[in-house]
Formats: sequence, structure tokens, C-alpha cells
Amino acid sequence: MNSISSAKANRLFLLLNVVLAIAYFICIAFFFPIGNPVLFGLLIGCEVFHLLQALGYVHTVWPRKHSKEFETSFSEPVAVYITVTGEPADIVEATVRGALSMEYPAFNVYILNDGYVANRENWQEAEEVALKYGITCITRTTPGGAKAGNINNALSKTTEPFVVVFDADHIPKSHFLWSLMGYFVDKRVGFVQSPQFYKNQDQNLVTAGSWEQQELFFGAILKGKDAINSAFMCGTNMAVRRKALEQVGGMSEFSIAEDFLTSLLIHQKKWKSVYVDAVLAEGLAPEDFLSYYKQQFRWARGSLEVVFKYNPLFRKGLTTNQRIQYLSSASFYLSGVVVLINALLPLVYFYSGLQPLTISTMTLALFFLPYIFIVLYTVQLTSGFSYTFRALSFSISSFPIHLQAIWQIITRKKSGFVVTSKRAIKGNHSYLVTPHIVYIVLVILGVIVGSLREGLNASILSNAAWSLVYVFTFIPFIMAAFQKFTPDSNEEIALKPVTKEVIND
Amino acid sequence: MIDVTALPPAPTRGRKKKSFKILLLLLGFMLFATLVDVFVFARTSLQLDESQSLFQVSRNIPGLLNLVAQDVHVPGYHLLLHFWILLFGSDITTARYLSIIFFVATIPVVYLLGKNVFSRRVGLFAALLIAISPFMLWYGAVARMYSMLALVTVVHQLFFVKIYKTGKPIYWIGYFFMTIIGLYTHYFFSFVLLTEAIFYIFYRKRFPPHSFVKFLISLLIAFATFAPWLLYVYRLGLASNDQPYLTIPSSGDLFDAYAQFLFGFQTNGINTFIVSLWPILVLAAFFTLQRKKRTTPASIFLIFMAVLPVLGAFVISLLVKPFFLSRYLIISLPSLILIFAWVISIYPIKIQRIIQAAVVAGTLILLMIEIINPNSPIKEDYKDAVAYVSSQATAQDVIVATAPFTIYPIEYYYQGPAALTTQPIWNRFVSGSVPAYNPKTVVAQTNENVLNYQHAWLILSYDQGYNTKLKNYYDSRFQLLEHKQFSPGLVVYEYKISYNKPLSIP
Repeated sequence: MNSISSAKANRLFLLLNVVLAIAYFICIAFFFPIGNPVLFGLLIGCEVFHLLQALGYVHTVWPRKHSKEFETSFSEPVAVYITVTGEPADIVEATVRGALSMEYPAFNVYILNDGYVANRENWQEAEEVALKYGITCITRTTPGGAKAGNINNALSKTTEPFVVVFDADHIPKSHFLWSLMGYFVDKRVGFVQSPQFYKNQDQNLVTAGSWEQQELFFGAILKGKDAINSAFMCGTNMAVRRKALEQVGGMSEFSIAEDFLTSLLIHQKKWKSVYVDAVLAEGLAPEDFLSYYKQQFRWARGSLEVVFKYNPLFRKGLTTNQRIQYLSSASFYLSGVVVLINALLPLVYFYSGLQPLTISTMTLALFFLPYIFIVLYTVQLTSGFSYTFRALSFSISSFPIHLQAIWQIITRKKSGFVVTSKRAIKGNHSYLVTPHIVYIVLVILGVIVGSLREGLNASILSNAAWSLVYVFTFIPFIMAAFQKFTPDSNEEIALKPVTKEVIND
Repeated sequence: MIDVTALPPAPTRGRKKKSFKILLLLLGFMLFATLVDVFVFARTSLQLDESQSLFQVSRNIPGLLNLVAQDVHVPGYHLLLHFWILLFGSDITTARYLSIIFFVATIPVVYLLGKNVFSRRVGLFAALLIAISPFMLWYGAVARMYSMLALVTVVHQLFFVKIYKTGKPIYWIGYFFMTIIGLYTHYFFSFVLLTEAIFYIFYRKRFPPHSFVKFLISLLIAFATFAPWLLYVYRLGLASNDQPYLTIPSSGDLFDAYAQFLFGFQTNGINTFIVSLWPILVLAAFFTLQRKKRTTPASIFLIFMAVLPVLGAFVISLLVKPFFLSRYLIISLPSLILIFAWVISIYPIKIQRIIQAAVVAGTLILLMIEIINPNSPIKEDYKDAVAYVSSQATAQDVIVATAPFTIYPIEYYYQGPAALTTQPIWNRFVSGSVPAYNPKTVVAQTNENVLNYQHAWLILSYDQGYNTKLKNYYDSRFQLLEHKQFSPGLVVYEYKISYNKPLSIP
């Protein structure tokens, strides 16, 4: 756009978003007649969450000018860690080959082998790969700390002042190090993160959904965080200054979202962070629904732990921007509760006739529709029109995962770090969408019950339409759960050359 | 040497075939619209507004201008209709054919606008939706300016988009003349200009160089040509004399307007059903979340056109004076349909086809309901009401029309011997507004009728806030013999008002 530049248009819509979000909230909270007080309280709780998330998003993606030092001739030695926990040898080998082909004056590649401590039958394969390519394999024999423990163990056995971490399936491009290391010329930069790109995104509904969810995060969100020194590490495709890591006692072993918590601790020590918005390595999305479920659960559980155990609002050393950003990212996973309440409100009406507000459905529409349309358009505008219905579907439908994570935190149940499978896990995973199917059945019965009680009036119709919104939003997720998986289909993908560039603007 | 690459590609056989196919489809849509309007809607009863049109255009030009100035309209359409009936005849069906021409001409222009802003497919689907639109088909066969307003708006938008895209002089000329025609078609055309101005403010640098000066000159000259009319109205000081009684719109009215645009005029039950399903719009918006489906500035222009005039009229009606009528807002309908067609085109192809088929089927079903259902809220069956009265009223009876301006359609059809009057009594041939309802005056007028007539045929329609009072007064004083409803809000009551033998007429 020439006349209103992209940044101006974004600011305009973001402002409009804030105004409409606040106006909608004020109307709901203070001007509309209250129906059932309990339901009203729940609705207001949800709306407060929505409002805070909306404000958090606006804070994240608000266009800001920022510049970062970069030195192309930077050439400090780098230790490249490839973390392996029993992944198939061919996948590890492809990553090793990619790592070795990187163009940079001084770096050593290490396989960080956790297969032995994880009791994987194939744990020796990683050592064979290391032998084949003449690189060092650091095999842990003493368990503890999961991936973070593996990295910390390697830190104690290597000396390079910078470390780069790749998951076993993330194959770096040749210019990976050149693109990242130059930022460390600024002595205060603690880590540099690049996107996780899933090259198998077109393989099936799960990989597609996973990637489309990631796209918003690795696009608009991390770019926005980068502008306010709040980008965080994402476990792979990242470069870290050893000194920064050592200052915080290495990668944090106290959370299953070790990357997220370690970033917070590093920021607390006043280190800077950088996010490089370019696809510099390509990995694999979870191929089956169970792996996706476990991955999402780990992220949810880990992030929520940060909210409850390391609340960014009360951590010394963080800037206000960082506090807002960490809290907003971590608390996203509370959305499961909000989705559940919002989805249940129509059901409550069908079965009991109770509703949180007693305004006419048209008045609600008058306030809600402009708000939601502007929200959706703003998300599209700020994400470069990359957000998809499937991504939305996966985010909303993940509510049982988020609820499970919240429940485990409340009950203080321990949860181990589970490496996302790089191969599809055989089996029927459709049981994971039981809550969604039960919801659909309850909607059908609810419409019948409600109609028998009061006929097909405006309230029943509106609530039926609301529940249909949820039903249709759950469908891509349900379809992904029911998809049949072909475990061997990704072999070719794992080894095929890197071609796609998606995140670059 | 000629640079071959610089030449436009010669139309291939395939492209010609495609264009021919599109032309055939457009002709098919136009034929469908013409047939439905000529054989269905043009044959319905004369409506109040139409009777006013006929009354106004049957005067000479100064008389016509004077009457239109007293109304809430501008004289462009009336002048055309004046010459149309001089040439082709003054019956209502003939008068309606002029509107049908405007409506049918709108169909290909919508296609062109859609093609220019989105794609041929979107344009074609939008043209189809316009051709089967219950709202457009209805106003396409009404002897009023609405179909002309829709056509002028779409042509004006087309020139505006062309200016935005190319800036060629021909489009500036078209834009200028259509601005003048638009201003003389309906006061609400100013919402079109305002919306274009808002769009221009946002995207001014996307327009060709010097466009601001050109717009300014075009609009200044256009307004200068319109100024004489405004001065004339101002000098007469009568602009509000014939204004209908309108209530302050509610949020329901706002959604009803859009529901009417898309689904036509349905009974309360059907309308409630449709409007209550509004959360589906949220789902429709979710579906538009597709990778790399960007909104272009031209599509934002159409979104503005579909929303801002309606919202503007709504807000002004809330804050200043109520004038929120969906027919005045027909200026937003083509843009709404185009946006609707475009949104569907964003969806994955399978979903797209299903939704397109469902929308066409649903619209046709609702069109059928609008045609068949006598209780469709837009219907005004004065024809049957008057036929009913004509078959029973005698020279000893009086026909009382309320609201007073409903005398026009009743008078158009009534050829019988009974006296025809209004309550309150209104002399249309004397400048001035319709008298306000005054119970004392009504009593005096009724007493006079009691002296002269045996039966009163009270025809109630277009409630201006006192129809119930008048009916209650008649109920309290006279014996109700019969009553019959002919269309929503149009009821005939027969009262025995006198038992005296009337004076014999020599």
C-alpha cells in the first residue's frame, strides 16, 4: 500500500481493534441486562480474558521501528548441538549432513545423544552416525533434566563460546550460521532464534494444521516480540551465547518448556534477544494426532507452569514489555477454559433456559459482529494474510489439551518431557476428540430439548447458530483425528532437498 | 521493428468463446429478471408511493417540480417518468416498465464492477444474485426511483473504480455526469459520494496524479448543477410536507435491512428465523481465513459501500431524524451482493460450490415465498381492497381513507358511485402538509358523514400513529358490519353509520 503504508494500516486497525474490544466489553459488563448471575460472571471472566489477549496481541504486533547491529564478519567458534533421543538414524543423518554443510569459519557439530538414558533400543545409531561423519557424539549415561539436561551435559563437555541447537529433524540451510551469528557482535545479545519450519506441512491434516498454527507465531508474533526485545527461544534453530546460558545455570531443567523458561531467566539478566524472520532450517511437524496432542500438551503445561510458578509480572529484571509478552504468551493456554465456557453457554440455554444476558439477540449482534470482523481482519492484516481457518480450528479445538494441562498444574501432577515423535505413531487416535463428538451430540439433543420447551424462537435459533459455529470449528480437528496415518510416508520427505521459503516477507 | 511483446495479446478463440459464454449467461440472467418482473411483479397492485409518482408526473413540468419539492425526493426520475408516460401511456404497468429497464441494466453493470474489482467469476455470480434478488426484483417493478438509483450507483462506482485503476479521461467524464444524475435521482446518493470520499482519504496516493483536483472540480460543478434544486426546495419551504411518519430504528431494523437486501421481504416468522441465525456470520468470517487471500483496496471500497451508507443512515436516524428505510439504502445492495459473492469465492472450491448452490436455491425459494405469500410485508393490495369495496358500496356510502395520502392508490382504482374522502380531511391541491390528527375535527367530519351517508367504508393503511384511535372511535360509535384484510396493514371496515334515509339526489 502506498497511501496508507502497511504500518499505518496496521496501526489503524489495531487501534480500531482496541476501541471495539473495550467498547464491546464495557457494553457486556455494564450496560446489558444481566440474566443468570453465575453465567454472567463466567461470561465476564471469559470476556476479560479475551480483552487481555486482544490487548496483548495488539501490544505484540504494534508496528515499531527497531534496528539491530549485525556484523557479517563475525566468526567466533560455535558448537552445533543436534539433540537426539532415539530418532531414526536417517533423520539424524540428514540433519548432520545439513549441519556439516553450513558455511562458517569455525564450528563443531555434536550429536547430543539421550537415547541411552531414554532407554531407546536404537540409542547406538546416533553414535554410528557420528562415527560415519567424523563428529563427536556425547551420549549421556546419567539421566535427568530431559532435553535441557542433555544440553547442559554437552555444555560441560564443550568449550565454544556460542552454541547452536537443532532438534534431530531440523536440517539447517548452509547460510544458517552466517544469518544468525552476526547479531552476537552486540555483546548484550544472549540468544538468536529463527523459525521452525515444517517441510512436511502438506503431508496430512495434522501436519498442515500444526504448521498453520505455527505460522502466525513465527510470523507476526515473534517479529513483534523481537521489536521489544521479548522474543524467546523455541528449543531448536537457535543460537545462544554460552555466557548468557551459564549465568542462568544452563538450560532450565525445572520445566518441560525449558526453552521458554530459560529465555525468561536470560532476559532477567538483561541479555537481549533477536528473532531472525527467515527460514534457515526445515523440520518435521508431528505426523499423527497423538504426537500433535502430546506436543501441544507439553507446550501448554510448560507455559502455564511459567504463569503459576515463575509469574513474569513479579520477576525482577524484566522490562514492562517483557513482562507483558511473557504473561500474554504463557497465559494463552488458559484459553481452553474460555473456549469450554463459551461453547457450553448455548448448551446451558438449551437444557435450562438460563442465559448470562437478557438483551435481544440483535442488540448483541450489533455490538459483536463489527468487533469480531475487525478482530479477524486485523489478525489477517498483521499476519500477512497467513492465518487460516484450520489454524483457528486447531487452536480452539485444543481446549481439552489446555484443560488437561491446567488440571495437572492444579493437582501438581508431574509430567515428563516427551520428545515429539518424528514418525507417525500407528493406531486410532480418534478417542482424543471424544469431547468434541460428545459436544456435537449434546447440541443436537439440546436443540430438540430447547425447541420442545419454547419452540423455535429467536433465542433457540441464535443459540443453535452459536453452537453450530463451534461444531463447524471443531470439524477440521475431528477430521485430523480420524485421518489414517501412513508411518513410512515421511522417509522421502525427511531426506528431500530443502526448497520452500514461507516465513520470509 | 514492432515490439511484439508490447502489443496486447490477440484474443484467442478460447477467450472469445469464454466471453461469448459469459454474454449468454448475462443475457439469461437479464431475461429471467425481465420475465419475473413483467409477468409477476408488474402485475401486482399499485402501491401508495407509486400512486404518488403517477399523481406527480401527470402534472406539467412546473407542477411536477412543485409537487416533488414538497415530497422528500429529487425530480430526476419523475421527469423521466413524465416523458415516459407521455410516450407510452399512463397506466401503472407501463410506468413500471421504466423501472424494469433500469433494474435489468443493473445486472451487467454489476458483473462489470465485480470483474473489475475481483474476477469474472465473482462478477458473474453477483450478477446472478442480483437477477434473482427478491429485493431487487420487487423494486425493479415499482414505479419509483429505486432501481434507477441502484443502476446510477453501480455505474458511478464502476467509473470510480476505473478512475482508481487507470485514471483515463473517459472515466472522469462518466464519473462527472453520473454524479449529477445521481444527485438528481435520490438524496441518498450523497451517501455514495461520502463513502467514496472516505475511501479516497484512506487511499488517495493509490489514485492517479492530480485526482484530488479533478474530484474537487467534478464535485463542485456537480453540486453547482444541483444547487438550483436545493434553492428551489428551500424557497418553497415545503420539503417536509409529505414526509411519512418514521420511527427511530432499532438494532433489529438494521439487521432487517440487510436481511431484506439478501432475502427479500418475508413474514415476521421467516424473518425472525433468518435474522436469529446471525452467529452463522461469525462462522462465515472464520471461513474467510484463508492463506494469502488478501483484501485489495478496491474490495475495501465495496465493503465501505456495503456498510457505511447503512450505518450512516442508522446513526443519523438515531441522533438527528429518522429516515432509515431499506429502499433508500438500495445503494448498498449491489456492493453487499458483490462482497457476498467474493467472500464465497475465498472458500475452498468444494465448499464454494455447495454454498453457491445453497444460496441460489435459498434465494429462489424465498423469492417464490415473496411472490406467493399474500402476507409478505411489502405488499399493498389496494387493487383487491378497492375491488371489494366497489362491489358493495353504493351511492349512499362514503369511503374514508386513512392515512390521508392513501387516497392516491384508492382513487386510482375506484370508479364507483360512493363518495371518497380522507380522515383527517386533506386537500391535495392546496400547498401544505397533511393535517394532524385531531379528535375534535374527526368527530365533526364524521358527524357530517352521518348526515349524508348510510355506510362508511373505512380503509386503513400506512398507520401514521392514529389508525387505531380512528378505528376505536368508529367502533365506539357505529356498528361494525364487516372487515377484511387484504395485505399486511391494509384493512377495510364497513360501518353502519346512519339509519336515516339519505337525502335523495335530484
